[in-house]
Amino acid sequence: MLRIVSGSVYDPANGVAGEVRDVCLSEGKVVEDVPAHAARIDARGMVVMPGGVDIHAHIAGPKVNAARRLAPEEHRGDAVDRSAVMRSGTGGTVPSTFVTGYRYALLGYTTVVEAATPPLAARHVLAELRDTPIIDAAFLLLMGNNLALFDLIRRDPARLRDAIAWWLEATGGYGVKLVNPGGVELWKRANGNVTSLDDEVAGVTPRRVIEAIAGAVHELGLPHPVHVHCNNLGVAGNWRTTLDTLDTLEGRRAHLAHIQFHAYGGRPGGRPRSRAPAIAEYLGAHPELSADVGQVMFGPATTMTADAPVSALLRDVTGGKWVNADTEVETGCGIVPFTYREKNYVHALQWGIGLELFLLSRDPWRLVLSTDHPNGGSFLSYPRLIRLLMDREFRNEQLRRANKRAIRRTVLLDDLEREYTLEEIAIVTRAGPARLLGLRDKGHLGPGADADVTIYDERADREEMFATPRHVIKGGRPVVRDGELVEAHAGELLRVTAAYDDAVEEVLRAQFEERYTVQFDSYPVREPWLLEPARRIPAGRPA
Amino acid sequence: MPSHDPAGVPATCAGCGLVCDDITVVVGERGGLEQLIRTCPLGDAWFAERVAPAPAVARLDGREAELDRALDEAAAILARARAPLVYGLGQTTCEAQRSAVALAEAIGGVIDPAGPLLDGASGLAYQTLGASTATLGEIRDRAEVVVVWRADPVATHPRLFERLELPAAGRELVVVDERRTATAARADAFLELPAERDVEALWTLRALVREVPIEPAVEPPLGELAARLRACRNGAILHRVRGHVEALALHALVRDLCRVTHVVAVMLRREANAAGAEDVLAWQTGYPAAVSFARGHPRASPGELSAATVLERGEADAALVVGSDPLEDLPPAAAARLRAIPIVSLDPRDTATAAAARVAFTTAAPGVHRAGVVHRLDGVPVPLRAPLATSRPGDDEVLAAIAGRLARPREALA
Repeated sequence: MLRIVSGSVYDPANGVAGEVRDVCLSEGKVVEDVPAHAARIDARGMVVMPGGVDIHAHIAGPKVNAARRLAPEEHRGDAVDRSAVMRSGTGGTVPSTFVTGYRYALLGYTTVVEAATPPLAARHVLAELRDTPIIDAAFLLLMGNNLALFDLIRRDPARLRDAIAWWLEATGGYGVKLVNPGGVELWKRANGNVTSLDDEVAGVTPRRVIEAIAGAVHELGLPHPVHVHCNNLGVAGNWRTTLDTLDTLEGRRAHLAHIQFHAYGGRPGGRPRSRAPAIAEYLGAHPELSADVGQVMFGPATTMTADAPVSALLRDVTGGKWVNADTEVETGCGIVPFTYREKNYVHALQWGIGLELFLLSRDPWRLVLSTDHPNGGSFLSYPRLIRLLMDREFRNEQLRRANKRAIRRTVLLDDLEREYTLEEIAIVTRAGPARLLGLRDKGHLGPGADADVTIYDERADREEMFATPRHVIKGGRPVVRDGELVEAHAGELLRVTAAYDDAVEEVLRAQFEERYTVQFDSYPVREPWLLEPARRIPAGRPA
Repeated sequence: MPSHDPAGVPATCAGCGLVCDDITVVVGERGGLEQLIRTCPLGDAWFAERVAPAPAVARLDGREAELDRALDEAAAILARARAPLVYGLGQTTCEAQRSAVALAEAIGGVIDPAGPLLDGASGLAYQTLGASTATLGEIRDRAEVVVVWRADPVATHPRLFERLELPAAGRELVVVDERRTATAARADAFLELPAERDVEALWTLRALVREVPIEPAVEPPLGELAARLRACRNGAILHRVRGHVEALALHALVRDLCRVTHVVAVMLRREANAAGAEDVLAWQTGYPAAVSFARGHPRASPGELSAATVLERGEADAALVVGSDPLEDLPPAAAARLRAIPIVSLDPRDTATAAAARVAFTTAAPGVHRAGVVHRLDGVPVPLRAPLATSRPGDDEVLAAIAGRLARPREALA
C-alpha cells in the first residue's frame, strides 16, 4: 500500500488538471484510500501522472534484433553494467531488451506497443518481450500483405473475421496492423510497389484490403481499431493517398501510424511540401480517426519497417548498411540506419511537419505522441519533443537552426503560439494512447486503474523534467526511486481475446499446407514461458 | 506425457538447420522409439544418437556421480575461474540459450556460439553491409534461379530441395563448388571453382552485374551465371562461404544484384538452433557472438573474443560447453588448450568433449525428450516437441541449477 501525498495530479481521463491531492495505491491498483500506516511518498511540488503509454514503437522481434546486430558501433559507446537489480546490456537507438525495459521505466513509461510483428515470428517477439523487464507490452500483427488473407478476401470474405481472430489467438497479439497494403507483396515478387489504392496485387487491391480488414476488425470489436501505415510512405504528394485511405475507411474507426510521414505535398519524384494543415483539418473533422505523429528528431535513428520498398529507397539515399528480409506469406522488412540533419531540406521539413501536426491538432486525445521509435528517433528523445511542444521560445530557437527553405514550406513561421499544457502532455503521452488502445486500466488514476504512476519534479526546463522522473511506480511497486532503478520485475503481455468459429481452422489449414514451410499445428504459440504472465482484454465491448 | 500410439505422435527433427516439423514418431509400448516417418538419413541418425544408451546423468572425471555433487563442482569451477568460456549453444533451445547468457554474465565470462566456427563467419560482413534474406517459403515460391555456393545440402541438409520443391520446370539450380558433389549432380549447371578463388569469382560477378567492363575477358561459366542472375525476377543464393572476406564479397554481390532484381541469400547453418544462439545473444547484449562480460557489461570482438582465439591465447581457464563437441571441431591449438582446463559439459550424447570433461551432464535431448523453441536456419522460430520421456534434466534446468549455486556474484569475488 502506498500513498502519494500532495502532488499536482494530472489525470485528464478523470478531469483532474493539476489539482493538489493524494493518490492511493493498493494491490497493484489505484484505490480511493489507504490506511494511515501505508507507506508514503511526499510529492509536494511534484507533478503526478499515470505511467506513460507508447502506442507505436519497435522494441522486439526479428526486425529489431536484425537492427541490433547491424550497429555494434552504437553499442560500444553505450554499454550498461550489470548491477544488483539490472542485467547488463547496450543502448544506442536500438537497445538490448533489458536496457529497453529499464530505459522506458526510467523515462516514466510503463506500457509499450510493439507495432509490427510478423505473425510467423510471434515466438521470437514474445521471447524478447519476456526479456524486456518492467513494462507491460502488446504487439500488433502485420496483416496487410498476407497472401492467405488476400485469398479469403477474394473467395470467402465472410471468413475473414474469424481468420483474424484465429491469428490473434494463435500468436498472443493485441491488434491488427496494415503496412503499405499490397505494396510489400509486389516488392517481394520483383522489387515492385503499388502507387495507388487501386493497383492490382494478387487479385485484390490496397483499397479492397483496407476495406475488408478494417471492416473485420470493426465487426470483431477489437479494443484497438485497425492500425494503418498507409501506402506511399515518404513519397512527395502522398497526402492524397492518405486522404484516399481515410475516405476508404468510410467512417469506420482507424488509427493512422506516424502520420507525419504521410502528410507530404508536391509531385512524386519532386521535392516534398507540407500538407500538415490539410491532414490536421481532416483528422479534426473525423472523430472516428486517430493518429500518432511519428515525429522526426535531429540526430541518429534506425529506420526499420515492414515497408521494405521504402527501405530500398533509403538505402539509395545513405549508401550505407541495408537489410532486407522477406517473410513467407505475410510481410517484408527493411532496415537502414539513418541520421536526421537539421540543415537537410527533407529532414527539416519532416521535423517541421511533425510539429505543425502537433500544433494544429484540435484534439490531443486523437493525435498522440510518437517518434515511431527508433524510426524518427529514439524514445529517449521524447523529453526534448515535449519541450518543443511546451516551450515556444525553445521551439523558435530550434526553428532558426533548421533548413530555412524547408521551414518556409510550413506554417511554423506564422509564429504558432501554442504551447502544450501539462494536461495536454498527459493526454498525448498516456491518457490518449491508453484510450485509443482500449486499455481501460491504463493511462488514468481513477479507482481501479493499474497502479502505474510517474512522479516528476516540477521544473521550468521541461526536457530535464520529463527525462528524469523522480519516482516511477509500476503495478504498485516502486521501480524508480529518486531517479534510480530499484527493482526490475517482469511486465505483463497484454493480449486480446476475440471469439471465432473453429470451422475457420480447416480453411486455414488448407492455406497453410499450400503456402507455409511450417506445419499448421506448429504455428500457434503454446509455450507457457512465452505467454505468461498475460492479461486478456476482451473484444466486443462498446468503444 | 508421451504415450504409446501406433499412429505416432508429431515431432520436429533438430538434426540440421532445416528443422523439419512434419515428422511422425511412433513410440513403442515400452516408451522407446519404434519408427520415424518422413525423416531423412541424417534425421534418422540424429534421433538414433539421442535414444542410444547414454552415460550416467552426472559424471566427475568420467565416473558416475551424484547430480547434486556434480552441480556443486560445476558451480565451483565456474566461480573460481578468472576467464571462463561458455561455448556451443547451437543444439539447445532458446530457453537454455537465455539461461546460458545469464550464466555467462554472472560469472563474467566470454560466450561464443559454435555457429561461426561450424558454418563460416558472416558477422562482420553483415555489420559492414547488411544483408538481403528470406524465409524458405519465399525462396520455394518465388526464386527462379537458386545458386548453391560452396555447400552440399544433399549431404548436409538432405530435405532442402524437397522443401524448396527443386528441381522444377522453369527454375534453375546452379551449383558452385570445387568438386562435383552430390548436390552438383542435381544441378542444371555446375561451375567448378577452387575454394581459394571465391573472392575473385564473387568480385568478377559483381563487375558483371554492375556492367563494369573487365579485362581480360571473363570465363564463360561466370558470365553465364551473372547473366542468369541479372535476367531473373527473383533469385536466391544458398551458401556456406567460410571466411570474413568471402562473406563480405558475397554480401556485396547480393547488394549489387538487389539493384537489378530481387535476390536473397541464406547461410545453410548446420545446427538446428545456430540462428537462435546468435539471436538470443544479440537481443540480450546487442552482439551476436564472441561476447565478453569480463568488465561487467557486454563487449564483442569476433577476432579477439572468439572461443578459438581466447583458447589459443591461453586465457580461458575453464569452459562450460553446452550441446557441442569442440574437441572435435576446434583448431588443434585451441583444442589442446581446452583439454588442459576444467570443462563442464552438457550434452545428451557422449561426445569427446564430455568424455574429457571434469564434470559431464547427460541431459535430455531437445526435440526428443524436451520441448522448446529453436530458430531455423532462416530465423523462423519452430517448436520442438518431446515424443519420448526421460528422467534426465534438460539443459536449462542444469544451467539454472548451476546459476543458483554461484554463492556470490562476480563483483564479490573480484
